[in-house]
Amino acid sequence: MRRKKFIRSITLAGAALQPFFAKSMIPYKQTGIQDDLLQNKPITSKPPYLKAGDTIGITAPAGYILPEEILPAVTEMKSWGLQCKIGATIGQRDFTFAGTDEQRVADLQAMLDDDQVQAIMCARGGYGLIRIIDRLDFSKFIKKPKWLIGFSDITVLHNHVYQNFKMASIHSKMCNSFPDVFAQADSQQQETILSIRDALFGAKINYAIPFNVRNKLGKAEGPLIGGNFKTLESLYGSKSSLVPDQALLFLEDTGEYLYSIDRMFWNLKRSGRLENLAGLILGGFKIKPDDAGEEFGKTLEDIVLEKMKEYNYPVCFDFPVGHQKNNFALKHGIKHLLTVSDNNCSLIEAV
Amino acid sequence: MIKIPPYLKPSQTIGIVCPAGSMPLSKIENCIHQLQAWGFQVNCGKTLGKRSSYFSGNDEERCTDLQLMLDDPDIHAILCARGGYGVSRIIDNLNFARFKKYPKWLIGYSDITVLHAHVFRNFHIASLHAPMAGAFNDVNGAAYVATIHKALTGEKMVYTYTSSISNKTGIAEGALVGGNLSLLTHLLATPSTMNLKNKILFLEDIDEYIYHIDRMLVQLKRSNLLAQLAGLIIGSFSGMKDTKLPFGKSVEEIIKEHVAGYSYPVCFDFPVGHTHANVALKHGVLHSLEVKKYAVKLVEIRG
Repeated sequence: MRRKKFIRSITLAGAALQPFFAKSMIPYKQTGIQDDLLQNKPITSKPPYLKAGDTIGITAPAGYILPEEILPAVTEMKSWGLQCKIGATIGQRDFTFAGTDEQRVADLQAMLDDDQVQAIMCARGGYGLIRIIDRLDFSKFIKKPKWLIGFSDITVLHNHVYQNFKMASIHSKMCNSFPDVFAQADSQQQETILSIRDALFGAKINYAIPFNVRNKLGKAEGPLIGGNFKTLESLYGSKSSLVPDQALLFLEDTGEYLYSIDRMFWNLKRSGRLENLAGLILGGFKIKPDDAGEEFGKTLEDIVLEKMKEYNYPVCFDFPVGHQKNNFALKHGIKHLLTVSDNNCSLIEAV
Repeated sequence: MIKIPPYLKPSQTIGIVCPAGSMPLSKIENCIHQLQAWGFQVNCGKTLGKRSSYFSGNDEERCTDLQLMLDDPDIHAILCARGGYGVSRIIDNLNFARFKKYPKWLIGYSDITVLHAHVFRNFHIASLHAPMAGAFNDVNGAAYVATIHKALTGEKMVYTYTSSISNKTGIAEGALVGGNLSLLTHLLATPSTMNLKNKILFLEDIDEYIYHIDRMLVQLKRSNLLAQLAGLIIGSFSGMKDTKLPFGKSVEEIIKEHVAGYSYPVCFDFPVGHTHANVALKHGVLHSLEVKKYAVKLVEIRG
């Protein structure tokens, strides 16, 4: 706590003190104004939860998607009592993108500003948000916030609205993960889809986490932030950058080599982002197999735990989040309690 | 002011280490012979030919080997035999106290970008971004490998070449810094990040998805690192991969798009990167860059 207050006093004291502190300052904090914004606004804002009759807008701010690919999501969300407004980017294509940067900005901007839209679900991830994030105007959104929903590339959006406006959002599956026929889907698929509904309608998050023998035990409370690891790394140095002090950081990734995951953890550590965490949550990591002769020789658990030696906060593996069927909705930016013990691992939204 | 390590005289010693990936000794032999043919003595570190799973020894072994070379007054330059991955894991455990007082040339590229950036950012010491041991095995690479000798013995570096892609013309002057794009973005926000203001930045990469290249450039841009460059040198981006739905732009087109708002010169096709066309560049040293539509000239500026 003393350290935290110390850092705060530096920020408040302003530029006059900076030369004196320049050497001891944590590098990642040098970049942005977001720290000041965060400190002036200690509690995350929550957009209003949805009620029957509300409208959910569907837009594709990154990769391209066909109109028929979002139909299962539309059908399912209608069964929740919601209306769907389909954005112009659905079915639009510019190579890998769902339209040009200008077209994707225009669609998401229209959704952000539309009073008739109470939440925005990104149809899919892929790649593209970082190209447009600085062109979006959030002034209306800040006054009338709405839930932003998605994961993977959408990590950009979650972190941007959290770091700049301390706004909560929903990290979850997107339209492209809804089963074609909901009733025929397996129970895990159904549960994960329904977890989006529950989060949107205001149910408290309460997830049991499978036990992993390599967990580091403990209890911690803090805002839950994070997302796709590689995407988070692409934000470092920018004004959407991850500042995870006192937070429960969750990470997932797909298609990365073990060495690349190791390198990303070194970046987290060397930039001072690991030392003041409240807790660390590892979701699914679909690891790209090592090339022959280049075997890395460490598991994900090895890679994580060797960076954790000097820290005492809890660490849990196998959390059900990531590029996998077992990907439950999370409320990004909202305070949660993480419990990691031998017989009970859970993530519960704080009251 | 940048500190330039002393240039090498005949019979001085070059130490060879593997601070990252493992490399069998047999692949380093040509390098050793050539360095000796140039009149240098060679001191082989313990990490050569060593292997601990992926790495050329565990973190402690790699760190110790490089540390000994940094501190040994009888070693006048250190050549990294290969890159791969691993310098990030040991960089903060290295003690540069003696190196700061008695700088020596650090030689390598790719993963060694971490070392170049770190000594430039923290100590303002020049280093040599150059081919490593593997290049000495490449018959097509002899002319490029020879630039290491020129650089180490104090020749003023002058590179002229013709680009196959049209450049953004202009002239620039500034310290020459850069390296592997993936590593440079990986270093952002760490104690090894370089301030790129008024620098001539050179970039190269290998085996990345084209959209990753785009994302890294957006990241540099959003970190305000592209706006204030003096000039930009684009080396080879070899083995680029595309997604199932093609990205629709080449690396050169992506770069042109991101620098469209800046007035500094940008040249393409520069002989730096993961192909045999990889010249020695004095990292951190002041250079002038003259970029015409296809003709490019990079010249070291002597104080």
